Amino acid sequence: MERIGKLPKLYLAIVFIILYAPIFYLIFYSFNSGGGMSDFESFTWEHYAAVFEDKRLIVIVLNTIIIALLSALLSTTIGVIGALAINFMRNKKMRNAVLSLNNILIVSPDVIIGASFLILFTMIGVKLGFASVLISHIAFSIPIVVIMVLPKLSEMNPTLIDAARDLGATRKDVMTRVILPFIQPGIFAGFFLALTYSLDDFAVTFFVTGNGFSTLSVEIYSMARTGISLTINALSGIIFIVTVALVIGYYALNRKMKAPLAGVKK
Amino acid sequence: MANQPIIRFENVTKKYSDETTVLDNVSFELERGKFYTLLGPSGCGKTTILRLIAGFIEPTEGTIYFNGKNINNVPANERQVNTVFQDYALFPHLNVYENIAFGLRIKKVKKDEIDRKVKEALKFVNLAGYESREITEMSGGQRQRVAIARAIVNDPEIILLDEPLSALDLKLRSEMQYELRELQQRLGKTFIFVTHDQEEALAMSDEIFVMNDGVIQQSGTPLDIYDEPINRFVADFIGESNIVAGRMIEDYIVEFTGKRFDCADAGLQPNEKVDIVIRPEDLEISTVDTGKLNVTVDTQLFRGVHYELSTYDQDGNEWLVHSTKKAEVGAVIGLDFNPEDIHVMRLNESEEEYDARLESYGASADEE
Repeated sequence: MERIGKLPKLYLAIVFIILYAPIFYLIFYSFNSGGGMSDFESFTWEHYAAVFEDKRLIVIVLNTIIIALLSALLSTTIGVIGALAINFMRNKKMRNAVLSLNNILIVSPDVIIGASFLILFTMIGVKLGFASVLISHIAFSIPIVVIMVLPKLSEMNPTLIDAARDLGATRKDVMTRVILPFIQPGIFAGFFLALTYSLDDFAVTFFVTGNGFSTLSVEIYSMARTGISLTINALSGIIFIVTVALVIGYYALNRKMKAPLAGVKK
Repeated sequence: MANQPIIRFENVTKKYSDETTVLDNVSFELERGKFYTLLGPSGCGKTTILRLIAGFIEPTEGTIYFNGKNINNVPANERQVNTVFQDYALFPHLNVYENIAFGLRIKKVKKDEIDRKVKEALKFVNLAGYESREITEMSGGQRQRVAIARAIVNDPEIILLDEPLSALDLKLRSEMQYELRELQQRLGKTFIFVTHDQEEALAMSDEIFVMNDGVIQQSGTPLDIYDEPINRFVADFIGESNIVAGRMIEDYIVEFTGKRFDCADAGLQPNEKVDIVIRPEDLEISTVDTGKLNVTVDTQLFRGVHYELSTYDQDGNEWLVHSTKKAEVGAVIGLDFNPEDIHVMRLNESEEEYDARLESYGASADEE
């Protein structure tokens, strides 16, 4: 690290300041007792108190978390099965075709996915709300999980399966004792990525949510449109802190999981 | 029951989906408690036989018997066979102890029994005390031993070894040859060892199956195969050999390089075309015209225990000579050999025909 000169350090500092300044600006004014984001009058917790007093907001936060956890869990399950199916496909062309279809879903814009889901749900008569949001979140998370799990699978030596069978393992044993433990880091990475994608999704949710059901990102958007309220700032501050905690937690967990597998790639 | 072969292949053929035949109508029997080696170049079908016995693939035609029972439809996990893989295939997410315990855990063996057996297996392969090591912390030779321990701990009837020594360096490899042979004798189990290394095969086996093109060319003890190769392929593959075309004049007299020699073979048609094999170490250097053949020395290499001479006779046949004596490059020397050093091979003779012929003239020779 000593080799890095002053100029690159300065550059790095500026980049991070530009990235983080708006967030800290927002959080800073969440403590302002004055109503706006310009003159800082005095320090106060009242906006934070307002967040916790707003029952509707609490419900929305809970909704967001439930949607995120459920969709991450379900999409991880489906995505792992999908990755396994793709990995063990004998037909190379078919395999590549399925993989491409999967990747297209990752790069295609959220608005298009959102709009198409809206059309689909209205056509088949799914009531817009919790179910529609959950289904669409699961749908856009699956390709992400597949992409995270596949490299782990292809890293696995196929003789390991022969070896397990040779030692008496049934197909179920092979799955639970060899394949799943081996790709576990990929599964966790996929789960957490799906979780964050669901938590901060706005575009898709905006399309498929209906009356009486909202997630945080959609709610913040509508709050911001109806007028500036420092409650948004306070809420953003809380979310930021939670996110930082999640990231630290993820790294701690990841390091613990990876330790015994550190040398595998050799 | 005691004499029943542990494995019997009956007209087994294996074809892959694109119609390539990797194993062509192979039949053989393996006896309990012996060390067998399947030897041949890559693609000869030796690993296919191993995978058929292990149950990873099924024969296209024919039947495989295990202790007299047809096991064609028995899946790999229900066979009393364990494999040591070429790349060891140790589970990277498990440590040494758990790798070895894998098979026992699946069989739901009691914990203290697993503990006892794993420790015993580790002791057997000289790795006591390595229980909690990760696989990544083990050297190639140690991984090899873990793989062997993982196989023997399940107490299988047969242990299959798929070129397990090929990834080791030369010194370790020869050490492991001794260890494997000793291990097999201590355990008294049937070992089936696959290799393309003829020295390995000769050093370790009770019986060798030499394979080529999906067919067993010859089977027998290492000595039989070395001394009495049945055809050009076996002679060439096992050890170094001088092979020249010749003609059988009558019993015990053969002609090659335009001269007639006494030999120890009989039972062929007069004037039948044959291949002649003489091993390089059976040729002795003598002076010009005192030996049976005159050759010109082309090159000479020092091989440590002996000199390796490449020489040519007047017909342009190459004669490889292993000798402790030196010769001069470019000089004409004589080569001497005994009648029993000449090995006559009939063209396209099968193993059964060869055995029958050996029996017939061997018996008549005894009567005289």
